[in-house]
Amino acid sequence: MTLILFNLRKLFTIIKNEALVLPSRVVVALFFLFLLLLPLFTEDPYLLRILTLTSIFAILAASWDLLSGFTGQMNFGHALFFGVGAYSAAMLNKYAGIPPWGTIPLGALGAVLAGLVIGIPCLRLRGTYLALTTLAFPIILMGIVFAFPDLTGGELGISGIARLARSRVANYYIAVVVMLGLCAIMWKITNSNTGIIFHAIREDELAVRAAGINTIRYKLLAFCLSGFFAGISGGLYAHFMRIAGPSTLEVSMSFQVVIWAIFGGIATIYGPVGAVFVLFPLMELLRFWQDYRILMFACVVLLILLYMPDGLFRWLRDKTEKECPRCKIRNVAMRDTCRICTASLD
Amino acid sequence: MTQPFLQIKGLTKNFGGLRAVNDVTFSMERDQILGLIGPNGAGKTTLLRLMTGILKPDTGSVRFMGKEIVGRKTWDIVNMGIACTFQNMRPFRRLPIIANVMVSCLSPRAMKRGEWVKRLEAKAMDALEFAGISDMAREKASTLSQGDLKRLEVARAVATEPDLLLLDEPFGGLSPAETDLMAKSIKRLHKGGRFGRLHSEGPAMIIVEHKLQWLMKIVDHIIVLNFGTLIGSGTPDEIIKDPCVIEAYLGKGGI
Repeated sequence: MTLILFNLRKLFTIIKNEALVLPSRVVVALFFLFLLLLPLFTEDPYLLRILTLTSIFAILAASWDLLSGFTGQMNFGHALFFGVGAYSAAMLNKYAGIPPWGTIPLGALGAVLAGLVIGIPCLRLRGTYLALTTLAFPIILMGIVFAFPDLTGGELGISGIARLARSRVANYYIAVVVMLGLCAIMWKITNSNTGIIFHAIREDELAVRAAGINTIRYKLLAFCLSGFFAGISGGLYAHFMRIAGPSTLEVSMSFQVVIWAIFGGIATIYGPVGAVFVLFPLMELLRFWQDYRILMFACVVLLILLYMPDGLFRWLRDKTEKECPRCKIRNVAMRDTCRICTASLD
Repeated sequence: MTQPFLQIKGLTKNFGGLRAVNDVTFSMERDQILGLIGPNGAGKTTLLRLMTGILKPDTGSVRFMGKEIVGRKTWDIVNMGIACTFQNMRPFRRLPIIANVMVSCLSPRAMKRGEWVKRLEAKAMDALEFAGISDMAREKASTLSQGDLKRLEVARAVATEPDLLLLDEPFGGLSPAETDLMAKSIKRLHKGGRFGRLHSEGPAMIIVEHKLQWLMKIVDHIIVLNFGTLIGSGTPDEIIKDPCVIEAYLGKGGI
């Protein structure tokens, strides 16, 4: 009994001293709670559908950030991983009859393979050249899809695949829990030692080699990890929409991912996720003015990036938190002294 | 027969029509500190880059502890025990200084050694301590001055715990007092021992430097390059009297 009390008290202390001291951490906690508790208050099918799709695309945007934001391998063809994940999940389900919990991981492994296939020829490329090369791969795959209409359904795509789950709420929970879990894993990866090497490869690849790190291995690892997470998101999308069509491979899909990530702030993971949760519902809100929807969307993105070039969430974080000049611990902007080392903040 | 520690034979590198390194041959022992001097554009940095695999030589061989290293990847060579610094510093500017060094500590060579050291950060900190910039460990590398960047380069190279350390102008941008400190650190490193958690077996060194007065104090052998060709080799005292070297530095005709 005392042991339980002791551990509870310890837990509360940790929450009080570590989680509730920074606005960003409070916001993340509220975000988790909001998403997980929402179906208790409303079961509006429209809202749940939007949030499910938002969660699926949040995984995609975060996986782009893992590859392009952290490792600096500008990938303008991220739809490839999404499409490979969606198509392999759909085909496995339709022709082999594997249920969704099997097809989604297998589809993700297919996307890992795609990551290797495009990663190996792209190892020597950098910057603009890499971006243009990766842009071509989804288009090539789309050509292949159109070349075998019997197998892939051509322009119509593969339809009539199994539902993710029976009910809407179950669908929602699967998407949200997978999203939160995968984003937490990605954030953990980028905060680990591997993350440091990813950062360093973006900054100066030659210097990383001279430090004795096999950069080829780490770049391929980044391609594979990103492909895996994007593939899972593609598989979820196929099973949620119950169709895997060529729209998953479109160029606009690749660019949408880039827009989301840059809008939220690259090399942060939380930035792209937050950006999808802002921009995707915004697109739905703008439906009241159907004809100018895309135009207004573009205006919002342009205005934000004009005034917050580092991304919306980086900007918000810098406004609400200050870094202590001495110990580099983040503090609430209202404080005068650092909460750890009591150095004055200004 | 014992192998020489490092043996370079007939190393040649062309950049288009320019012969940057021309048929260079020399060897060094495990306990030596070698100075590499020469006028600007003599091919010193190119020679170092050939030895670390950043550039591939046209002909010639480099044997390190009995193994050929020409044709290997840079990270393989570093993990065999050759570490280098860059003349034009190449830090990871947006990372904290400690993370810069931690990248080196994450290399397979550094991870294998120092078995009882589990904490990477502590080891990186000791490398910074050795270079004398541990008080700025949490600052971003972009905030550092030229001299501190130089020390960061040295810290990064030392953190891989090399057997052969190639220093490309370690005193560049340092004030006289700082140069003294750095020279002392280098000598201490060469003697070997422990620097906190960082273990040094006293690496052999090749130092490229223009500040000859300090270089002469550290090194025990000097080789001179001019236009990619080896023009002199000997102890510091011999070198400053060598007419070929004086000619290369000051020109013919004299005063």
